[in-house]
Formats: sequence, C-alpha cells, structure tokens
Amino acid sequence: MRYLPHTDSDRQAMLQSMGHSNIMDLFADIPSEFHTKLGSLDLPVALSEAGIVKKFTKAAEKNRHAGNTRCFLGGGTYHHFVPAVVDYVISRGEFLTAYTPYQPEIAQGTLQALFEYQTMIARLTGMEVSNASMYEAATATAEAALMARRVTRKTRTVIAGSVNPRYRAVTENYLSRLDGDYVEVAMGQKGTIHGTDLSQVIAAMDEQTACVIVQYPDFYGSVYDLAPLREACDAHKCLMVVAFSDASAFGLIESPGAYGADIVVGSGQALGIPMAFGGPHLGVFACKQKYLRQMPGRVCGLTTDADGKRGFVLTLSTREQHIRREKATSNICTNQGLMCTAAATYMTLMGDAGLETVANHSAAALDLLVSKLPSGVVAADGAHYNETVLTFTSAEKRDAFINEARNNDIFAGIPLETIEKGAEQIDGNRHLLVATTEMIEEDDINDYIATMEVAL
Amino acid sequence: MSNTTYSATSGIQQEEPLLFEHAHEASESISLPGVQGKAPSSLDAFKRKTAANIPGLSEPEAVRHFVRLSQWNHGIETGFYPLGSCTMKYNPRVNEQVARLPGLAHVHPDQPEDSVQGMLELLHELQGWLCEIAGFSDVTLQPAAGAHGELTGLMMIRKCLDARGEQKRKKVLVPDSAHGTNPASAALCGMYTVEIKSGADGRIDLDELKKHLNDDVAALMMTNPNTAGTFESNVKEICQLVHDAGGLVYGDGANLNALVGVARPGDMGLDCLHINVHKTFSTPHGGGGPGAGPVAVNDTLKPFLPVPRIEKDGDVFKVLTEDEQSIGSVLSTLGQTGVYMRANAYISAFGHNHIHKIAQDAVLNANYVLSRLKEAYHVPFEGLCKHECLLTDEWQNKHGVKTLDIAKRLIDLGFHPMTVYFPLIVHGAMLIEPTETESKKTLDSFCDAMLEIAAQCEAGDTQALHDAPVKPIRRRLDETQAARKPVLVWQD
Repeated sequence: MRYLPHTDSDRQAMLQSMGHSNIMDLFADIPSEFHTKLGSLDLPVALSEAGIVKKFTKAAEKNRHAGNTRCFLGGGTYHHFVPAVVDYVISRGEFLTAYTPYQPEIAQGTLQALFEYQTMIARLTGMEVSNASMYEAATATAEAALMARRVTRKTRTVIAGSVNPRYRAVTENYLSRLDGDYVEVAMGQKGTIHGTDLSQVIAAMDEQTACVIVQYPDFYGSVYDLAPLREACDAHKCLMVVAFSDASAFGLIESPGAYGADIVVGSGQALGIPMAFGGPHLGVFACKQKYLRQMPGRVCGLTTDADGKRGFVLTLSTREQHIRREKATSNICTNQGLMCTAAATYMTLMGDAGLETVANHSAAALDLLVSKLPSGVVAADGAHYNETVLTFTSAEKRDAFINEARNNDIFAGIPLETIEKGAEQIDGNRHLLVATTEMIEEDDINDYIATMEVAL
Repeated sequence: MSNTTYSATSGIQQEEPLLFEHAHEASESISLPGVQGKAPSSLDAFKRKTAANIPGLSEPEAVRHFVRLSQWNHGIETGFYPLGSCTMKYNPRVNEQVARLPGLAHVHPDQPEDSVQGMLELLHELQGWLCEIAGFSDVTLQPAAGAHGELTGLMMIRKCLDARGEQKRKKVLVPDSAHGTNPASAALCGMYTVEIKSGADGRIDLDELKKHLNDDVAALMMTNPNTAGTFESNVKEICQLVHDAGGLVYGDGANLNALVGVARPGDMGLDCLHINVHKTFSTPHGGGGPGAGPVAVNDTLKPFLPVPRIEKDGDVFKVLTEDEQSIGSVLSTLGQTGVYMRANAYISAFGHNHIHKIAQDAVLNANYVLSRLKEAYHVPFEGLCKHECLLTDEWQNKHGVKTLDIAKRLIDLGFHPMTVYFPLIVHGAMLIEPTETESKKTLDSFCDAMLEIAAQCEAGDTQALHDAPVKPIRRRLDETQAARKPVLVWQD
C-alpha cells in the first residue's frame, strides 16, 4: 500500500524484536468477539492514484460550478476572486501539514501568519482584537451570544429577524439547553420583505438582555445606520453584536467597530477561500480589548524568546478547554487555522486599494443589475451592498425565470424560502435572493436581464 | 556523538519582518475583474471614513513573505511528528489535487440539487463508509471538528433522554484521562461533569464507575483506546453498566486510528462516536484546522441526527432539511465538504483489502517505539499499547531534567516533540504516536535520539537539554510575558 513504508520483512523484524510473530498479537487486548474479519468491511476495492483522479473527475463533472456558469448566489457564501498565490501558500506542506502550534519554536510561520491575520481582521472590522478563527459564521454568532452571557452575567438574547436564518438557527440551538430567553425580532409586515428596522430591535431590548445581535449588511443585503443601536445597548448595559456574511463589504462601507460594536462575528470566506459547497470556510471573531478574557477560541500573542528576539505563541490558554475544562470559554479546539493563513495572504495581496476595488465592483454590479430590471420585478428599497431581494409578481414567474436562467448557465439567485423557512407565508414564493461579486461581468448582467425579459 | 544520525541542521533561515513593517507605499493595486464601476451613491453615507490600513504587498513580495514564514514551520512533510492523540500521518497529495477540481471547489452550497449530484454522491458514499468502518447505522457530516462533534453527540443524547421523559439526567461521567474538550462540551450542553478516577492500570475502574451510576447519569464519555494509549478491554461491560443505569455512552473517536479495519466501536456497545477525519482519515491539519468531526450513531440516536443531511432516493441524492425529532442544525451548511473530499479519496486508496493495515502498522509502530524506550524511560502502565505509547520523565527528574527539556532537545535533533503533559493522570507525560506512515528507519532514528537524551541525563551531561532548542529560528519563548500583557494585534 503506497502510503505505508514498511515491507513485510520490516514488519517481521519489528515483531520479532518484541517477541511476537503475528501482527494481530498486538491486538490481543481487544476481546476476540470484537475483531472484524480482516478484509470483510463493505468498502470497494482499493483504487490506484490514477483511479482516484478518474473517480473524482467523473463526480466533479456531474456538478455545475461557478467556473462554468454565472453565479448570482449568496446567502452567506460568495464567489469572489481567489488569486493563485493564496492557494500556493496554503498548499505549502509547512503550513498545510503542521498541527496547532503547540511547540512555538518550530511553528513561528503559522504563528506569525496568525498574528498578521488577527491584526488585519481587527483593522478591517474596526475592532481592537481578533481571535485565530471559529469554524464559520453561524457557530461564531452562537459563541458571541454565549460570550455576552459571561460578560454581562445576564441570560436574555435578542436577535434581529434580518440575521441570516442559518445563523439564527444555530444560535438558538446552542442556547436552547441553557437557562434564559432567546428572542427573535420579526422584521417588516406581512406581504413585504424589509431590511432591518432597528426601532423594532431596540423595542425588544430590556434590562435582562445580555446582547443584541444584528447583521450588517443584513441577510437581505441592506446597509443601515447602526448608531442608534449603540445608544440602546448603553442604555440597557448589554453587548452589541454585529454579524456579517461577506467580509469584502468592509473594504468600502464603515466597519461595525466604528459604530461601537462590542463583538463582531461573521464569515471570512470572501477573503480568498473557495465556496467548496459547504466549507471549509472561516469564522471571524473580533471584540473589544476589555472583553478579551471572555473571548472563545485560540489567540496568538507577541512575546520574546530566550535571546530576546521577537516571537509569537498561542496565549491566554487559561480560558481554554484543555486547562479550564468544563469552565472554559468554549469547547473549541481545532478551528480553521489554514483558512486564517489563506485570508492573511489574500488581504496582503489586496491591500486597502484592492479590497476597496473588490467592494466597488461587487456593489456596482448589483447596482447595474437593479437599474436594468424590467417591469414586473422589484428590488428591495434602500441602500444595498452586493445582495438584495427581487420580488416577482408570482411564484410561477419567478420559477420560470430561474429555470430559463439555468438553461443559459446562470444561477439566478436563491429562492428565499429555501433559507428562510416561512418566507413563503409572507406572500407566496415570489422572492429571489441575488448576490453579485467582482466575478460578475457586465455581459453576465446583460444576459441575466435578457433572460428575465424572455422568461417574463 | 555523530551528527549524521539525526536530520536537524541549521540551514539558511531568513528573518522576515511583519508584513506591516514592509514600509513602502502600497504598490499598484492587483488587477481585478468585474464591473469596473464605483459603488452606487446610495452607499455614500455609509462609506468608511478611514481606510482599514491593510498594507498591500506586490505579488513577489507577498510570495517571499509567506514562503519565508512557511520555512519556520515543522510539518509532516518536513519530518517526524509523533504528537500523541493527534495522529499526524502523511497527507496524500492526490487528495489535495482532487479536492481542488473546479466541480468540487467552486460549487455554491445553495445550488439546486440536480446541479450537485456528483458532490452529493461523494458525500453520501463517505457517510456509508464511515458507518461501516465505525460500526454504526447512520452519521452526520455537519460537525466541523472533534469538539463540535462532541457537542452534537451530547445534544442528541440530551434529546433522546428528553424523549424518554428523563429530563433530570444531567450528569456526564468523564474519565480523568479524557480530552479537555469533553467536559467543556458537556457544559455547553447544559449538563455537568463528574470525573471518574482511572484505575492503577490507567483504564476505567469498574468499581469507581459503579459508584457514580444512578438516576442522574445522562452519559459516559469514553475514549477507546484511551489517552494513555491502552485499550479499555472492559468496554462491553462498561457500556452495559451505563445502559443498565439508564445512560448512554458517547465515544470520543480521537483514537480511532488504532482500530480502523480491525475492530468497530459500534459493535462494542457505544451509542455514538465522533470521528476526527483530520486524524484518522489523513486530512491535513493546516496549523490548527480545518478539521471535521462527523458523528456516527446507532439506531437509538438516529432519529435525533442534525439536519441537513444527505439521503439517496432511487438514483438521486437529496438533501433532507427537516426531520421531526432532529436536534436541528449545528452549522450553516452540510459540513466541511472540502475536508470530506480528501477523506473519501483516502479511504478509496485503501479499500476493503488494505484498510486494516492502517491500524496494524500504527499499532506496530507504537509498540516498537515503546519496546525500544521502555528500559530508558518510565512506563506508567505496563502491557500492550495501541496506536500511541505513554512515558514519563520520572527517571530523568532525578537528573534535573523534565519532559519539557526532552521535548525541546528533540527539536534540535530534527523531530517534532511528542504530546507533553497530557494525559493529566501521570506526572510529566510524554505521549508518542508515530502513526503508520513512518518507516522503521525513522522510528529507529527517533528512538536513538530518545535513548541518547536518556544517556545524557544518566551521565549528568544535561546542559544541551536545558539550552534547547538552539537550531530553530527562535529559542524558548516566554509564554508568561505573552499572557500577562497580551499583544494580539500590531500597532504601527
């Protein structure tokens, strides 16, 4: 077997040196009733390397993907451009095949990259500190709610209904076995899709509230002024948690930190990480310095070595499960380390100017698309970054467009009710969540609109 | 001493500043595709007032920066990496290649099912294989790592107990040798943990276990082989006792590598098992993830599996998004599917005809290392080990040498240290997991190094141990300083 270096004579020599003759002697401590007959598992026969490539190529060819279609899908995952250098860097065996940096002297590469990542995430989100990643945005949101309970010693969580329904579902799930209330604030009125209405969120806050969670830009792509929320959080002594889905927004629009957020969580997938169907993506977690010791997850910190040279280590481990066990700030151990290196590489290649260009192109594409919509299709009101909701006159019209678009190699958007359960109850399945990035060209938008005109 | 025995030399290592210290004006922006316009005026009121201050390096500078950083790391591809309970085995390169196929890497999670049948097929196939290898009836791919799998498994156990009307059961029994994630996961699930003291042989003590079994018990979390590297031979009886007391048995599968193809935890009476695919199934650990922690379950827990998950309906693969008794979802998506592509490729390479060789060679290697080192280092628990072996620094302590010194000296000799000071049930633990992908030559070289260190202790020639490491780009780092006044971001 090509991944196993031993020859049979190696095995025999090793066994003999230990006074054994059969390798199964080494399994004598497992009761015989539990021994599987070797070779009897219901698995296919081993494939050669060429066989593996062939199998995966065949499976991959059954899929449509962003490379051979025009992808207008968002909802938390976005098809942004990934420079070749990013994949090169994270393919290097020294980054790829290292463990969590428990031995810092021989993990300074990973550690410095994490420190650079933390710094750039803090700057991008406008926060003072960042951790070295969570799994993805939904679990990061849930961890923010848990952290707010520890900081405030209160147990009520208020979350806007305009937060990605998947983030809400996971957060509610995480909180459901603990004491305290979980309150979702419904947005809008029957018959319409609304962006975030902060006055409704603020009305739901009270003295028992540990934190309020909003998304910015929200699930529907809406951008709004967060300032009133800061005032309300101060009034109720609760933490302001801001979630986001597409980190590229902050190359252009004001950061959550500038509005006074206490904790910022979201997806860093837009920062050089392929969509890969469901992951691995990157959970971003940043907060104010004063809450640092209640922050979940690994963090990398600056220090010096025995010769006084600058170096880096994982630090504040007394918050963590391997020291604090049941009193830890989180159970997280393995996180998304390599994705931090990817995001750090991406941001280094982009710089402020590149990040702003990505954001401008992403937003300009949506603006162009909306400006060309034919009658019978309405985009949501207000300021939007790179995502919005289109409303059709009927479910039939919408689905006719989606199907026609498929025929033209266009993934036109996500039917809202597939993510937001209950959206169909608003006024039928008439809504389409549409996202754009810098990977969408003007021609793609022209084709999108032309298809729409045919289908309607 | 011959310098040619070991692999570490002081090669050229370039100092490299933080990218924020590459002080020059940002170079011309990277060329980007798309609609070459500006954001609409409706966003004007929301624009950043100050730039984020992300420096931006030219491509050649950025590549050199990160390549230099990479060279400061020890990875599996660089050298031996015997971290106990971490299963640092070789990560096949073809797995990286296939996971990057555009039809797998650039698929959006909300594409229509009929446009992702190839992806769903590979994931569904893996679901079946994981169940078959671990001996369970179904599995969820949603958990993103081992600890996330623990949480998910305990959520299912909680729901199962609630469905039985046993809401009051909140006690989770955890052996004192368990990973720290076990009690942390239980706490997150609204339950409390009680630690069971290990017996003199490092295994679960049945009498001690029985003392804690009562109407409050929700579950026992067991790791088998345990973190001392030994098999819990009473596993059947342990499961029976917990079940008789009305509790369920959670399996921490961190050490599954010892059993792959040879024995199945599901056959032993466990109710569920999380699998660390970044350990057992060779997906790269990436300097701290991404991993994946699928949880396999028996029929008792199957109704409570998270959604979404994949089912086959005739020839068509479908994503099930609702299920009456499900605990709901624990992630935004189906799971870390990119990681699972690699796991599928790995199992494909072994097939039914080779898969047992993983456990065989892993266990052979660990026992071989143990047999070579047991005269020079204290072995706290006698007998066979499984995929990893446990030593302590007891005999070296009398020469003023601790586990940490031994670990750091190994770095100078070209090896990644073993896991140190874990498990907590022995003083000065050194947990060595060689894995099956190391040659006899490498194992011998490592053992020679360990024996030489022991001999230096005996001879009182310990200065090199206390000074170590001297060969990497940095020497021992001051962790106290880092924690006392944490600096987590760079200030220009």
